[in-house]
Amino acid sequence: MVRNRKIPVYLWRRLCQLLFFALFLFLFIKTDYSGSDELEYAVNILFRLDPLLALAAIFAGKTLVALMLPALITLVFTLVFGRSFCGWICPMGALVDGAAAVIRSPQGTVGKELRPVKYYLLIFILVAALLGLPLAGYLDPFSLLVRAFSFAVYPAFDFAVSSFFTFTYLHAPDWGNAALEPVYDFLKNTVLPFSHRVYGLGLLSLLLLALVLVLNHWQRRFFCRNLCPLGGLLALVSRFSWLTAHGGDEQCGKCRQCRAICRMGAIAEDRRISPADCNLCLDCVALCPRNRIHFSFRRPQPDAVSSGMTRRAFAGTVATGALLPLFLPGRPLTRRPDPLLIRPPGALAEDEFLGRCVRCGECMKVCIGNALQPALLEAGIEGMFTPLVRSRIGYCEYNCTLCGQVCPSGAIKKLTLPAKHAVVIGRAFFDKNLCLPYAKGIPCIVCEEHCPTPDKAIKFRPQQVVNARGETVTVLQPFVVDELCIGCGICENKCPLPGRAAVRVTGEGQTRQAGLTLSGG
Amino acid sequence: MDRRQFIKDVFLWSAGATLAVPQFRIIPSALAAERPQPLLSVAKGADYAALVSRVLAPLGGMGQFVKSGDKVVIKPNMGWDRKPEQAANTNPLVVMALASLALQAGAGKVLIFDRSCNEARRCYANSGIQAALAGLDDRRLKIDHMDNRKFVPVQIARGKSLTSWEIYKDALDADCYINVPVAKHHGLSRLTLGLKNSMGVIGGNRGDMHHDLGQKLADLATVVRPKLTVIDATRILLRNGPQGGDLNDVKQLDTLIASADPVAADAYATTLFDLQPADIDSTVAAYNMGLGEMDLAKIKVLTA
Repeated sequence: MVRNRKIPVYLWRRLCQLLFFALFLFLFIKTDYSGSDELEYAVNILFRLDPLLALAAIFAGKTLVALMLPALITLVFTLVFGRSFCGWICPMGALVDGAAAVIRSPQGTVGKELRPVKYYLLIFILVAALLGLPLAGYLDPFSLLVRAFSFAVYPAFDFAVSSFFTFTYLHAPDWGNAALEPVYDFLKNTVLPFSHRVYGLGLLSLLLLALVLVLNHWQRRFFCRNLCPLGGLLALVSRFSWLTAHGGDEQCGKCRQCRAICRMGAIAEDRRISPADCNLCLDCVALCPRNRIHFSFRRPQPDAVSSGMTRRAFAGTVATGALLPLFLPGRPLTRRPDPLLIRPPGALAEDEFLGRCVRCGECMKVCIGNALQPALLEAGIEGMFTPLVRSRIGYCEYNCTLCGQVCPSGAIKKLTLPAKHAVVIGRAFFDKNLCLPYAKGIPCIVCEEHCPTPDKAIKFRPQQVVNARGETVTVLQPFVVDELCIGCGICENKCPLPGRAAVRVTGEGQTRQAGLTLSGG
Repeated sequence: MDRRQFIKDVFLWSAGATLAVPQFRIIPSALAAERPQPLLSVAKGADYAALVSRVLAPLGGMGQFVKSGDKVVIKPNMGWDRKPEQAANTNPLVVMALASLALQAGAGKVLIFDRSCNEARRCYANSGIQAALAGLDDRRLKIDHMDNRKFVPVQIARGKSLTSWEIYKDALDADCYINVPVAKHHGLSRLTLGLKNSMGVIGGNRGDMHHDLGQKLADLATVVRPKLTVIDATRILLRNGPQGGDLNDVKQLDTLIASADPVAADAYATTLFDLQPADIDSTVAAYNMGLGEMDLAKIKVLTA
C-alpha cells in the first residue's frame, strides 16, 4: 500500500466506522432499564434513521409514521454525500469490513454480477408491504444485526464471562478473588446484562448474521453490494448525489489498481466510478499512483450508471410482490388466531402490528422480564421474529412500559403507566387437573400472591377437599376474575409446578383485538 | 467449631474440589437452651428516624446487637415493585435509620439485600430503599443485588417439613443479622411478618415453600436466626397483600416493634391486625419448636 505524506483519509474512515460501531454497542447496552421508568437515551435511533424501514412501515400502515421522520436525515445525507452512510456509518457495514480481516475474499470484481438483486428485493419488499405482506425486517441490516446481538451474541458473551467468574469464585484462592471480583463487579455494572437472558431463535438469528459475513468469501461486501435492500434504496438516491467520485480514464493506461481493491466493485472496466455503488471508503484515493481519483461536489450527471435491472425482471418482481399477499388470507390463522399469540401491551391490532413491526428485536432486548420472545410461526411465517409474551419464560412487569418506549415504528404504542395498567394483553385460566389445591388438596396460591392488580384478579375461596391420603382438608382454591385480569402472566411464570403451569395465559380478551372476548366486554 | 468457622472452612476446602457441594449443619443442641422472659419493645411516633432509636433503647440500643467491626446484614422486605406509601415494602426511613445506627455502633460492614419477587432493580429503586441508603453515603454500607453464586445448600437438622434448602451465604455468616419486615396481609399465611421475611434470603423455587408454609418457615427459622427483629408497622397493608397497590388498603400506625425474640415480635405484631398469635401458622410452629415465645402474657412488653 502506498504511504502518503499525511494521515491517509481511509484511516479517518476506519475511525469513523469504529466510532459508530461503538455508538451502536453503547445504545445496544443502554437498551435496558436504567433505574427510572423512562429510558434516558433514544436507543432506537438507528432504526428510526432507516429509510427502508420507514418506507415499509408507511406503506404497510398507509399513514405517515412520525417516529420514523429521522429517516429523512439519512435520505438527505445520501443525496449530498452518496452512499457514504454504507461506508462510514452503517454498523453492519463496519462489521462486514471487520470480518474481511478473517474471511478473505478475492480482489476486485469477480464472479457473477448480482448487483441488481438488491433493487429487486427492495421493490419486492415495498410492493409486498403496500399490499399486506411485511418483509422489510428480515433483510434490513440493522434488524439482522440487532436480532443476532440481542438473541445470540450478547447472551453468549454474558454466559462466557459469568461462567469464568463463577469458576474463579468457587476455585480461585482468596487473593485471586480479591483481584477478580472487582473486575466482575465492574463488568456487571457496565457491559453485562443485569440478569441472564434467554431467547428463542437465537441460533437462527446468529446464522443469518454469520451468513452475511461469510458471503465476504465470494465478494467483499457481498451483502452490501448485492443484497442489502437499504443499500439498494440508498444506491437509487446516490445516483443523484452531489458529492461524486471522479475516477480515471484512458490516460491511466493499463493501471487498474483502483478497480482491484474496490470493496464495492464500484469501478468499471473503463475506471469510471458508479455513484450508486461507491460507498466512499476512499481506499482508491490513497492508492492511485497518479492521484487521479478525487471527489467533488457537482450537480449529478444525467448519464448515471445503469442500475442493471431488466424491464422483464422488474415487472416480475412487482407482480410477485403484488400477488404473494393474496395467499395470506387463505390460511387457518385468519379464522382462528393462535391462542398463544400474546402481544406486548400497546401493540396495535394484529394486521396493523405486523405491517408496522420491523422485527428489530428492540422490545425483546429491553423487556425487563425477558417475557418478550421472537415468534416462530404463531403469527404466520411472515410474523417470525415479531414479539410475543411467553409467560412461562418471563412475565410482563406490571409497572414497566419500556417496550413501547423503544419501538421505532410505533407498532407498540408508547403508553403512560395508567394506560398500560388498563391494557389487557390476555387472560389467565386455571387448569384444575394440575393446580395443587384442586388436583391434590395441597395448599399453594403462589399465583394469588403475585397477582399485581391492586384489586387482585386472582382470588381464592376455602374449600374442603379429600387429598391423596384420603384426609379431608380445607385448602384455598384460586380463581380468576376476568374483568380484573390483564394477562401479565406473572401467575403462569411463578406457578411452582416444575413442568407445565397450572395457570396459563391465552390471548383472550386482548384490548387491541375487539371481538376476542367471551363476554363481549 | 462455630458456624462462621465452618463456613470459611467449607469454602477454603471447596476451592480445591470441583464438584463438592458445601453443606452446613447447625447443631441442634445450641438452639434448645432455656430462655429468660423475652423482651419486646413497642414505640409510636411520626418521626421514623427517631422512632427507630426509641424502640431500640429499652433493649439496650443498637450497641447491644452490633459490636465494633461486625459484619451486619439488614434484611428489609423490598420484594415488590411498589412505592413506599403502598406498604408492600419496608419503610425506607426505617431501614435507613437502622443502617445509620449500625454504622454508628461501629459495624465494619453493613449489607442490605432481598431476593425480590418483581424485577430486582425496580424493587430496589421503587421501594425507596436504594435512594435512602445512598443518602447515608458511607463506604461500609452496601445495598447489593443477589448473587446467584452465593446460595449454598444448607442441611436443616431440626426441620420437620424442610430439611434442606439453598440459603444466601451472606445471611448465614453475618455477625449480626437484623430482620426488618413490614407487617402486612398475605393470602396464604394471613400475615407476613418476621419469619416470612426470611424467605428473601433463600434460593430455589420458593413456591414449593407454600405447601406446609407455617412449618417450613419455622424450620427455616432454625437456621436463619436474626439477632434482632424490627417489625415496621409505620403503615400496614390490610388487604390484597403481600403487594397491595391500593392506598385504601393501607393503614397508618406509626408503630415499630423490636425484639431479639423473632417469635415474640411476630406474635405481638399479629395483634395490630386484630388477630391472635395462634392464627398464624408459622408463629405456632416456631413456638412449638422452642424458637421463641408466642404467649403475649409471657412477653415483657416495654413501651418506649
